[in-house]
Amino acid sequence: MSLTEQNGLRKAAWQIHDYIRAELVLTRPDMDVKGIPFNSGLLMSFLTGLFQGKELIIGEPGLGKTTSAEYVCALLYRFPLGVIWRSEVAGHPEQTEEKIIGRPDLGKLNQGDEVVVWSYFTLLPVKIIDEINRLPETKQSMILDGVDRGKWEYLNDAIINQEFCLFATANYHDIGTNTIIAPLIDRFDLMVESKHPGPNLAYQIGIRGSNGLTLRHKDLEDEFHQILSARLPYHVRMERVEEICARFAETLEKESGIRTLSSVERQAIRLQKEQIPFDLDSSAFLRLVLAELSFCHRFGQKRSHEMCEEGCHFTGYLCSTIQNCVSNRLPISVRSISQALAWFIGDETVGLEHLMAVLPHALAHRIQWKERALAQSDKEARDDPLAIYMAKKAVKEMHRRYMEQSSQVKDALSIACRIAEGEKAEPIRGDHPIYWEIMKDMGEVISER
Amino acid sequence: MPDLDDILKTVWPNVRRRHLFPELPIPECVDGELRVGLDINRKKISISRKFVKEMSVVLKPQEILEGLLDHAVSHYIYCPWNLANHLQLYAEAKAVLDDKEMALRATDCFMDVVADTLCVSQKETPLPKIYRHLELTVLDEAVHALLQRIWGIDLGVKAYEELSSRLSRIPYGDRSSWMKGIRRFSKLIQPFLEMEKDFGNLDTPCPMGGHGLQQYSTQEIEEGLKDLALDAVSPADFEEIVHDFEDEISEAIQPASQGSDSASAGSMDTNILYYMKLAENYALPIRKVPKENSGSTYPDHHISWEVGLPYQDIDPWTSFGKFMPGITQAWKRREGQVYGKEEGVPDCMVIIDSSGSMKDLRCDLSYAVLGAACACDTYLKNDAQVAVYNFGDASAGGRQILTYTRNRREIYATLCRYFAGGTKFLVEDIDALQMNRVPDIFMISDMQITNLEILIQYFNKCKNRVTAVHIGNNEHVSTFCHTMDLRKNVVIYGVENKEDIPRIVLGKIRQDLY
Amino acid sequence: MKNPFSDFRPGNYQIKESPVQRIVEEKQDVFNHIIKGYLDLVENEIKDLAWVVEHSRVVKVYGAAVEGLRDLQYDQAYIEEFCAELDGSNSIPYMIPGPAGLYVSALVNCSQESHISLRLGDYQRPFHFLGYGLPEGKTLTLQGDGGDFIGAGLNGGRLVVQGSAGNWCGAGMMGGEIRVDRHTGRNTGEWMQGGEIRVDGQIHGIGKTLFGGCIFKQGRLIAPQEVEQVF
Repeated sequence: MSLTEQNGLRKAAWQIHDYIRAELVLTRPDMDVKGIPFNSGLLMSFLTGLFQGKELIIGEPGLGKTTSAEYVCALLYRFPLGVIWRSEVAGHPEQTEEKIIGRPDLGKLNQGDEVVVWSYFTLLPVKIIDEINRLPETKQSMILDGVDRGKWEYLNDAIINQEFCLFATANYHDIGTNTIIAPLIDRFDLMVESKHPGPNLAYQIGIRGSNGLTLRHKDLEDEFHQILSARLPYHVRMERVEEICARFAETLEKESGIRTLSSVERQAIRLQKEQIPFDLDSSAFLRLVLAELSFCHRFGQKRSHEMCEEGCHFTGYLCSTIQNCVSNRLPISVRSISQALAWFIGDETVGLEHLMAVLPHALAHRIQWKERALAQSDKEARDDPLAIYMAKKAVKEMHRRYMEQSSQVKDALSIACRIAEGEKAEPIRGDHPIYWEIMKDMGEVISER
Repeated sequence: MPDLDDILKTVWPNVRRRHLFPELPIPECVDGELRVGLDINRKKISISRKFVKEMSVVLKPQEILEGLLDHAVSHYIYCPWNLANHLQLYAEAKAVLDDKEMALRATDCFMDVVADTLCVSQKETPLPKIYRHLELTVLDEAVHALLQRIWGIDLGVKAYEELSSRLSRIPYGDRSSWMKGIRRFSKLIQPFLEMEKDFGNLDTPCPMGGHGLQQYSTQEIEEGLKDLALDAVSPADFEEIVHDFEDEISEAIQPASQGSDSASAGSMDTNILYYMKLAENYALPIRKVPKENSGSTYPDHHISWEVGLPYQDIDPWTSFGKFMPGITQAWKRREGQVYGKEEGVPDCMVIIDSSGSMKDLRCDLSYAVLGAACACDTYLKNDAQVAVYNFGDASAGGRQILTYTRNRREIYATLCRYFAGGTKFLVEDIDALQMNRVPDIFMISDMQITNLEILIQYFNKCKNRVTAVHIGNNEHVSTFCHTMDLRKNVVIYGVENKEDIPRIVLGKIRQDLY
Repeated sequence: MKNPFSDFRPGNYQIKESPVQRIVEEKQDVFNHIIKGYLDLVENEIKDLAWVVEHSRVVKVYGAAVEGLRDLQYDQAYIEEFCAELDGSNSIPYMIPGPAGLYVSALVNCSQESHISLRLGDYQRPFHFLGYGLPEGKTLTLQGDGGDFIGAGLNGGRLVVQGSAGNWCGAGMMGGEIRVDRHTGRNTGEWMQGGEIRVDGQIHGIGKTLFGGCIFKQGRLIAPQEVEQVF
């Protein structure tokens, strides 16, 4: 694809983002990347939607968690709002597999045939689960595989989504909520808060009335319903759905002037994004972060049920304040969303600034802090909920450590590369867990404990 | 000369990128002084226009701005890193030089050498060019001789070969050797410092800016004091370090540290400050008063029905009228919870023994004061109030009582009172402090109390949740533990060193009383 | 298996060396050798860390120290740093004043420099046996107060103490000069065979057995012609 075409797609993506920010989801900027101000919730939702991510949106009731996800999905995937509303899964204890995933065709069932009627939620590439923490834990387990890979099974049938993004919303914990189970929460790439926009923007929201009307289209919604409920093979239905999406896009362009993206264009964007490399500093920094979140000198690695409280030399690092070991999904999420951010801004490489913007949101829901760390930070002044605030603080501290010893870390990695390629050299030793982990990679056994 | 603000706008992003994006506010150019290039206040870097103008005779303004910014950012990234380091370096220098002004200047010089050397060795920077053209005092020249040697760059200094050779052996890049390094550094430059003092030059700040406490934000000062308190061996050790900066610290500490009712800052007793900051390093868990269960159940969610499960809970609507494994759904019931007593943390009465058998908190770390302080902080953080009963020989007047309050400073002032002498408490004092409520009781003592049996009787009758902490072991402790063994509302912990304190769980009882 | 460090191949990233690093690394090797020499000495020669002053032991320990420093190139700065390291650090777990002083004396005697100055006032703990066996052509200046056995076995060199010396100053010296600006302790010059001890302050006690040499107090010869106990 030529550079002009690439830039054209980026420009279209920006146009969608700016339209949502200006007309649909009124928010205040609360972060900046390379001098460009963004609202973290909206930016991360946009990137999640465009690049097939999974996002957990938390916040107080009525602050636009679900609405923002709906608007992002509607504009990125060219679905009228009515279709998205029909596909949403509401989190409440009475949800069943039949309501979420699919049900037997009752007519056929009476005749003795097993035919599955798939729900809109499973069929469509946009998946929104509202108040996921009101789903009982048994029901959360049910959707694990689908949420992770887009693979849905019911009775003896299965479908695999070709593209999909997932948004889940959650209120803060109260009497009616459950914990989101650990395997499910680990599958989310990001966690963001949908913040109050401030009194002035809230007033604007109040007086403007309903503003999603441009995204409704009754006739096309009926057509979508006919296709989605037709008894046709999955891929045939999706082809026809894409045709209706294109007609909806034309309507949008005519009425609102927004150029949306087709599925081919979205694929092209994703391919472009995959090509963006990490620069040396971001590569080294991410390794340093992963080292601090998985290393345990006493027990070899972090484990949730093993507490290394006393006498540990590494109290200056994150491994002493967390309980669990971070999963391999973290670097996958960070890589994907950092590249997405770099693509969106128009950078040729992923750098430290992209990582610093993305890491707190990728970490916030994955870290289990020790009680001591939580108690110490709980009452500190902050602008974010505790989990995101502590993740931001942790990233800042790791960044500071990296700034101080970036040369040594890169030297250590460079020497490790040479050793791995057969050269005789001595690995660099240092205090930070990254040096210890490099030595383990080189096959050195840690004897002093 | 071109506009400095415009040049700064182009130079700053490059400096930021070079140093890997430090989280610092955008610097600014100010009128400033002729001799001093920059100032850092609460992380905000201010560059002197006069200095830049003067220097631009020999260097380009871009290079000057870049060099000054590199210097300022290096201090943030490498040295002193944080307030605790800064003050510890100062303490080491003062131990050698025994003079505040000289120690301050030695610390400034050492930090400049460390920060600039790490910057020059790792980044491409025009900083050496600035050094080459600075106006130098005798001390500055000696330090420049060192920099010339270790940077391998000519700075125009011809003298001090031997001195610079010795100074160059100090491992400036090794953070773990800084304390030892500054002692050696101070000793070697001591003659120059004495000379500068005689000439009255120590008051004049370095051309690259001084390093006072104003460069730290309030939060950094609070964090730094916490770290210092943790590293200090004793309150005297802490005081020695902090004493010379009492005024700056008192100004900078947030009113929250001093209590919500504090009218004015004023200077804080270093003992109180020590225990306050030390206690912030520990977080004791606390058990909240539990909610009631209603006792009745209601349908909560569906589960798949299997052959063998009772049919009464089957939901025919979600089962599509079918009785089949895999299709039929049944209800799972759950017990409801109601708001009985509101979940929360009660107020706390802290009873602390400061008789002669307990350590004097001013000389050594007192586990009693530390434990009580941690407990107070926990209750305060959970929006409860705290009352304090500090006793020695109460019948002879050796007691101090503080009624329920959230004023942290007053609480600590009461905790940090040391009576010495005998050990006897008055039960009527404790009764009076109950004040028609049922607070938690936190007691910390070595149990060598003259009227221990009265205390035991009191705890036998009371309904409060009692957390009793004994310092060390002795026969009185054994008696106390033995008699309290059957009391379900009393939990006992022993403390023999600092590490035992985080194991205390406040309000933990063996059976619900409510 | 793919090399997980391939991002940092030499083509992509070059390790940068700096003069600071080089200076510190060069010094560190020599310094580590000096420290190791002392630790080996203590381990091999001082059984159970109990040090008793006996002539044969002193000679043996000094000989072992000199042997350990053979072929090592260093200067005065290393000696000063070693003393600082002995005085208050964690890397040397035991500082025994007698053997430590003998080791420092070996360092002084084996160094290339003819004039060495040590600032004893920098150290909190005393060093005994400083100046032991100082040979002809060498001058050792001690700024501050020395411990016991200062200048013992002096062998033609010149020892200047800009402070006081402890007991047994100049014991067994064979030649050379000791100059003390302030006082000395008891048994000054015990078993000396030659050379001079000049004290500008008080001498708390002269050794009972002098085989040769002279002791001067405030410029006046007091031994061997006049044997005086001055308190």
